[in-house]
Amino acid sequence: MSISSKNISLFYDEKQILKDISIEIKEGKITTLLGPNGAGKSSFLNIISGDLDFYNGDVFYNQRNLAEINIQEKAFLRSVMAQSQPIIFDFSVKEIVEMGWLEKGDIKYSNNFKTALKEILTECDIDYLKNRKFNTLSGGEQRRVHFARSLLQLWRESNSADPCYLMLDEPTSNLDLFHQIKMMNAIKKLSIEGVGIFMILHDLNLAFKYSDYIAILKNGKIVNFGEPMSIINDDVLSNTFGVKIQVNKKDDNIFINYV
Amino acid sequence: MLSIINLKFLNRVQSFILFFLLILLLFVLLISFSLGSYSFPVLSILMGNTSAIETTIFSEIRVPRVILAAIVGASLSVSGACLQGLFRNPLADPGLIGVSAGAALGASTIIVFGSSLTSTFIFSTFLLPLSACLGSGLVILMLFLLTRGFGHQGVTYMLLVGIAVNAIASVGIGILTFISSDSELRSLTFWTMGSFGGITWSLLIPALIIIFISFLFLLPVLRNLDILQLGESEAKRLGVNVKNLKYRIIFASAASVGASVSLSGMIGFVGLVVPHLLRLLSGVNHTYVVIGSALLGSSLMVFADLLSRLLIQPAELPVGLITSAIGSPFFLWLIFRINKI
Repeated sequence: MSISSKNISLFYDEKQILKDISIEIKEGKITTLLGPNGAGKSSFLNIISGDLDFYNGDVFYNQRNLAEINIQEKAFLRSVMAQSQPIIFDFSVKEIVEMGWLEKGDIKYSNNFKTALKEILTECDIDYLKNRKFNTLSGGEQRRVHFARSLLQLWRESNSADPCYLMLDEPTSNLDLFHQIKMMNAIKKLSIEGVGIFMILHDLNLAFKYSDYIAILKNGKIVNFGEPMSIINDDVLSNTFGVKIQVNKKDDNIFINYV
Repeated sequence: MLSIINLKFLNRVQSFILFFLLILLLFVLLISFSLGSYSFPVLSILMGNTSAIETTIFSEIRVPRVILAAIVGASLSVSGACLQGLFRNPLADPGLIGVSAGAALGASTIIVFGSSLTSTFIFSTFLLPLSACLGSGLVILMLFLLTRGFGHQGVTYMLLVGIAVNAIASVGIGILTFISSDSELRSLTFWTMGSFGGITWSLLIPALIIIFISFLFLLPVLRNLDILQLGESEAKRLGVNVKNLKYRIIFASAASVGASVSLSGMIGFVGLVVPHLLRLLSGVNHTYVVIGSALLGSSLMVFADLLSRLLIQPAELPVGLITSAIGSPFFLWLIFRINKI
């Protein structure tokens, strides 16, 4: 079970943003996309999440073509945490999180609502914020609330084998160190439970520590793809980001230094 | 009925407020049925202790008038709440953004050009509301194009568009006034003031049906209107059929505002004030705000109509004057408040 992209290309005003991208996002694994600004990372995420529909090539969710999956069904298959927009009305934090809850028309499932909500508010460490107005929160706190909403969208009963995917566009931006680690641990836990994770990160250390696979995107092309231990070295990173980077590998860990 | 509304997301305070508003509405209706230039003790009507003429006044004049006030209040407030949600703009109001003006222009056009076409009955029962609905529908469609599909473009942009639309409509109404005959002129002046007088059951029932159907259309999508506040692409990711949501709200607002305006004329600020009162009371989710707006909007309008009948007896104060007198300072206050945020 996986999401696979086959020969994805994207043009914007005659400019080619993405060139012939074919990668696979496996269930139960974390795949992280790295690359400099303007490489096309968010565009690629928007294509495989189903937000953009004017690309060339195909995306398959478990062998089903994404173009043939309707909007409600898509909502059950994947949840997306992207850059968010300002919210005009004064919703409470709890209400914003609740918007992630999908009605399946199944009463047995709906009865889980309160349990699921409580579980996720605690896991994301926002239970103490739940009655605050969303608009009074700091940028980092708002990110955590949106993260909780994305998790609620993917909530499944523990015996459920339904496949699902979580896509995140720079989830840790604006977060303090404590909450960055906390969020990455929550993401890791989800992947162990079977959720396929695809994310865009800028923090290389976090990416190498938590990812099962790394994809490096440069000028619209995937230049490297594989397990971090096998593909990451000084040359790959220095060439990608245009900065001199030194990679130290020790046991199972990768550390980087800027020289 | 209840299954099409998702009550799960109402909290306890909100449910209590809605219940209280329902009681308030019944209470205001009862008072309004009995008070006026001719007073009926509520009990004597219930007991049937009234003369034939009293019964006629009550059932043919008083009751339809009060019901008209109730449904006009409800439909203006509900479409205000829904348009505010759709535009993601707390200042959207059928009056301010030109929807009511569009309806009035539609109605005026048919008064001046169409009144000689068919019999009075067909004209005032069907042609007039239809033409008003068309007018409000056209304005909403125009707003749709100007805001690129109701994308959020800042709070002030839409008010500026509203000023322009209102100006265009008043030019149209001005021209119509200029070329109209004396009797047509009298009907036209009626729109600019807003009044619930002169209503009959045969006019009221079609409007009642239109407004009821548009509410039924809105109820199942109130939850989606909440989710839309996260942004259009976010709503799509959560499985909301955004296009369908927009069409529903366009249709329902145009139909209910059109039907109201065709019977009562232009009554301003209700659609702005009522949803905000509810948000100030307890929360902003649309299940609560929209249902609450229907209840509070009709109570307030019935009350305003009662005032208009009682204040300067035996004459009558135009009800649009009362709502604007209360609504415009509120609008100013709202602008200052939003500026602070």
